[in-house]
Amino acid sequence: MSEATGTASPAEAGGVEVTANVSRAELEDRLRGIQAITDAALSQLDDHALLAELLDRTRAILRTDTAAVLLLDFSAGELIATAAAGLEEEVRQGVRIPVGRGFAGRIAAEHQPVVLDHVDHTTVLNPILWEKGIRTLMGVPLIARGKVIGVLHVGSLTGREFTSDDVELLQLAADRAAAAVASLMAQEDRIAAEALQRSLLPSALPVPEGAEIAVRYVPGEGKVGGDWYDVFTLPTGQLGLVIGDVAGSGLAAAVIMGRMRSALRAYALQTTDPAEVLAGLDAKMQHFEPGAVATVAYAVFDPGLDRVRICSAGHYPPVIASPGQAAGLADVPPGLLIGAVPGVQRQVATVEISPGTLVCFYTDGLIERRGQPIDDGLERLCQAVTAQPPDAACAAVMTALVGSEPAQDDIALLTVRRSLPGGT
Amino acid sequence: MSTENHDYKTRRAGPQTIITMPTEIDAANADQVRQALLSAASPDVTVLIIDMSGTIFCDSAGVHAIIAAYRQAAAAGTQLRLVTTSVLRIFQMTGADQLIPIYPTLDAAQAAHK
Repeated sequence: MSEATGTASPAEAGGVEVTANVSRAELEDRLRGIQAITDAALSQLDDHALLAELLDRTRAILRTDTAAVLLLDFSAGELIATAAAGLEEEVRQGVRIPVGRGFAGRIAAEHQPVVLDHVDHTTVLNPILWEKGIRTLMGVPLIARGKVIGVLHVGSLTGREFTSDDVELLQLAADRAAAAVASLMAQEDRIAAEALQRSLLPSALPVPEGAEIAVRYVPGEGKVGGDWYDVFTLPTGQLGLVIGDVAGSGLAAAVIMGRMRSALRAYALQTTDPAEVLAGLDAKMQHFEPGAVATVAYAVFDPGLDRVRICSAGHYPPVIASPGQAAGLADVPPGLLIGAVPGVQRQVATVEISPGTLVCFYTDGLIERRGQPIDDGLERLCQAVTAQPPDAACAAVMTALVGSEPAQDDIALLTVRRSLPGGT
Repeated sequence: MSTENHDYKTRRAGPQTIITMPTEIDAANADQVRQALLSAASPDVTVLIIDMSGTIFCDSAGVHAIIAAYRQAAAAGTQLRLVTTSVLRIFQMTGADQLIPIYPTLDAAQAAHK
């Protein structure tokens, strides 16, 4: 690995002890070896291939027998063996180490390198390490954006002593790996979140008698949020319509949104009272997803669409436009958000719908703009909504409120019109 | 958009802590707001006053963050109060004002009983 140290100055070369320490030039050479890993790897490898490459190089550069990466599972608070060289069984057996316990757990908890010159059950939690015959270990945290995302460790079967230079090199390798892994994980999260979100939005809308429906859905630039909508017919012949927004973004928000969508559908089959449905959903979320916060509006339209009952959990009220009249916000009591506090009493607003009337549901991304009061956005929306066929209404609203500007946040827009007698 | 720590200045006034919110709160800094509120809501703080009198813009992401902080603060025994006039509307629209009492001025929030 190391080349001749011809570039070192005499002063530096003179201070080198061949047995223990390494020359500055060799250190720099090693550094370049580590930098080369991640620069080349980033562009073309997935995170598993990147880690495998990194471990091979790290093992060679530091002249160790084993190298392993454990990544932190945040929800479980455990480190999971993800990649290993010379220690493959750790990954194959799915080793999990609680943060704070054992060698790797201590590194993750303290955000500090740890060197062990004595490996046995008193110092190391994972029996594979001492059964393998590893005599000395050195490990460092993987830190991305100030957070520990895992641990990188190397081990020696011959009991080689690790110096502070070795620790420094390993930390450098870990820093580069952490940045690469974090960016790859973010990329994978985004792809997964987009796929999940697409799979959860209805691919085809129901076509209930006497009603026309149209939607627009635009994911936010850069990161997927947690907006969703759902439209379904109920066994009673009523039409259920949901629009919601889960706090946060990315895969975590998309997963919560998927769970909320399923739970709401289940409660919708048990009762046609929108307040009871949202109360059930709220209780479910608070028990099983504590910490999640979302706004949801759930509307149940009577068959023929002559009446709708709406319950809102912190969601913006729909805009209603009747033929020949200016549109306005529906008078729906703003109930508390889902996930805010247990046992909320929820109110239902009942709205009569005349033939040709359009009801427009939307998420915050449609009306909120940085630096503008929300009343401005609501006002612009009310001006844009008219009692026309839903698809044309959606187009008009998107033109007026979005135009050609890129969406910062997800935008969901859902319009329903009670058909005019005798067709359109 | 600014994410400097001085955006979250806190000061103690007896059992009350006052935390100053940034000029704008949206998805870009909502998570920081939540973290800042949580670290300010220690068990010895009976009342945490969220001073949004200098906040001219707050969107849904900001409200979500404050509600999430409310849950955890309530669990720690800290009562939240909020000061705003310019972004009051979004707290009314989302029903958040039913959960967290809102005052027009810092003085009113500090003087309020319960």
